[in-house]
Amino acid sequence: MRIASPAIEVENLRKIYRVREGGSWRGRTREIVALDGISFAVPRGQIAGFIGPNGAGKSTAIKILSGILRPSSGLVRVGDLIPWENRIAHVARIGVVFGQRTQLWWDLSVGEGLALLRDIYGVEPDRFARNRARLADALDLHAIMDQSVRQLSLGQRMRAEIAAALIHDPEVLILDEPTIGLDAPSKLAVRAFVRDLRREQGTTVLLTTHDMHDIEALAERVIVIGHGRILADSPFEALRATTLSERRLEVDFIGTPPVFDLPPGAKETERDGRSVTITFDPRQIPAPALVAHLGALAGLDDLRIGRPAIEEIITRFYADHAS
Amino acid sequence: MKPRAYLTAFGLQWKIGLRYRIAVVAGLVAQMWFGAISLMAYAAVYHHAPDVGAPLTLRQAMTYTWLQQSLFTLLPLGCLPAVGDAARTGAIIYDLLRPVDLWNWWLSASLARLLGNAVPRAVLLACVAGPLAALAGLGAWSLAPPASPGAALLAAASFALGALLSATIVMLWNVMTARTLSPLGSYAIGTPLAVLLSGMLLPLPLYPEWARIVLVLQPFAGITDIPIRLYLGASLPGGPLGALGVQIFWLVAMTLGGRLWMRRIIDRLEVQGA
Ligand SMILES: Nc1ncnc2c1ncn2[C@@H]1O[C@H](COP(=O)(O)OP(=O)(O)O)[C@@H](O)[C@H]1O
Ligand SMILES: [Mg+2]
Repeated sequence: MRIASPAIEVENLRKIYRVREGGSWRGRTREIVALDGISFAVPRGQIAGFIGPNGAGKSTAIKILSGILRPSSGLVRVGDLIPWENRIAHVARIGVVFGQRTQLWWDLSVGEGLALLRDIYGVEPDRFARNRARLADALDLHAIMDQSVRQLSLGQRMRAEIAAALIHDPEVLILDEPTIGLDAPSKLAVRAFVRDLRREQGTTVLLTTHDMHDIEALAERVIVIGHGRILADSPFEALRATTLSERRLEVDFIGTPPVFDLPPGAKETERDGRSVTITFDPRQIPAPALVAHLGALAGLDDLRIGRPAIEEIITRFYADHAS
Repeated sequence: MKPRAYLTAFGLQWKIGLRYRIAVVAGLVAQMWFGAISLMAYAAVYHHAPDVGAPLTLRQAMTYTWLQQSLFTLLPLGCLPAVGDAARTGAIIYDLLRPVDLWNWWLSASLARLLGNAVPRAVLLACVAGPLAALAGLGAWSLAPPASPGAALLAAASFALGALLSATIVMLWNVMTARTLSPLGSYAIGTPLAVLLSGMLLPLPLYPEWARIVLVLQPFAGITDIPIRLYLGASLPGGPLGALGVQIFWLVAMTLGGRLWMRRIIDRLEVQGA
């Protein structure tokens, strides 16, 4: 009987980097608090997304969970292993993709690389053949199996990288910025694959991104991280209901914009020459109604609707937490 | 645990080493050239001072030189290029993500790389400097066969230990590279040390008498100098078994020390970015 313990447990995890400033000697050391006491647990079979701006501490957390970095303090269990203490046993059970690095061998073809990983992980021939066929179908690798990794486009390479991380059937898949730099079709392919993987294999997935769309497409669970702290940890729907629903409207007026009142749910956030930026909650005031409201006030030249950047959401979380 | 993985690492680097056939030929030409120049220098020295009391005869010095030249790429000149690249690009974190003993994993690769480079060259050069040179009427300048069947046996064991010892020194360069995240330091230190202390520049037996004992006890002597002297049947302080003992001592000491050092470095490794 298997006890349904969480796939990943993290408790009060801290990581402080010490960097020397100035020359390599004589310089003072400066401390960078990359993780400032984070705690969370991911149940088996969940897709959890870490989201946060650059420098938030996402990769640091990923490296500790992967067993390649020791934390300054705190507790981590993946399965029932402490990653950095049982490195070899731990890494045999996980698959990791760092979006900005390659784990395949530049001089080899994709197929040769996978065969090498088979030997490294000791995957039995039957299982290897099955997994290779399944991954090649799902990630559309058949055409590039014999190409050398050096010649692949970024999108092709990322698909091959994901196959490489899964050839040994890991229980936990860790993806650090898997869609960074990819074109739109490749992003969609990666997202669709991860979703199916969860559904068909029950793999636990932890991914980091600073692309809101990744989270929207994939994660049932969102952990917002900023300055080394967890700012929010909630089901995706809950996050959507609060922060993510917010939209921004930028309006260019013909001539100087008038001073105006806005309907409930909308608020002016910036004014610069002829343009005014308004943030609004579409559930309280739908975009067409807001535009109609503005159009009645003065002549409009141009309109742009978008989402607040992730950095803005984080800033807002900070403001909320401070109060 | 999984010897297959280490064989795989070995196979990969062996293949990469063999891939550079042009480098093999170019290296060969350079080594023949240096070899020939050294031979002429020795011939001149031995001719003008026939009784210098050198521990090698002229004939032995010539064979020493050919063997040494043919094994140039067996020297630990710096880190394994794959480790250097991985450290520079940050891909080194994937090496830590493999369920293998990192020391044995890199050691297998380093050994394969050394052998993949050295074996083809050594075979080619031995053919050219040995039987071919003799057939061409340059027998006096050629590479002589082992002194005796016993010498051949001892030399074979010693060459094997020498290759392993060299790969173990490369491991120290690899750990240093992981520490500094750049391969440059390992080359800056490794190349002069290896060239000087292995006897590549001047055969170790030809150094002044007071230096000889120290030179044969240091680890780089075990790579090519000791095996070659056993091949020649030349005298070694402590005898042939003592010489093998020196090789084994360094192998064990460097493995133990190197593994400890690697654990410390890996525990502290912080790869920035991504
Ligand atoms: N090896 C390192 N040495 C020093 N500081 C580091 C190192 N790696 C990351 N940092 C710092 O730690 C913080 C968190 O970085 P990181 O975990 O890479 O964030 P993210 O992946 O969210 O962008 C940043 O301020 C970064 O500059
Ligand atoms: Mg990152």
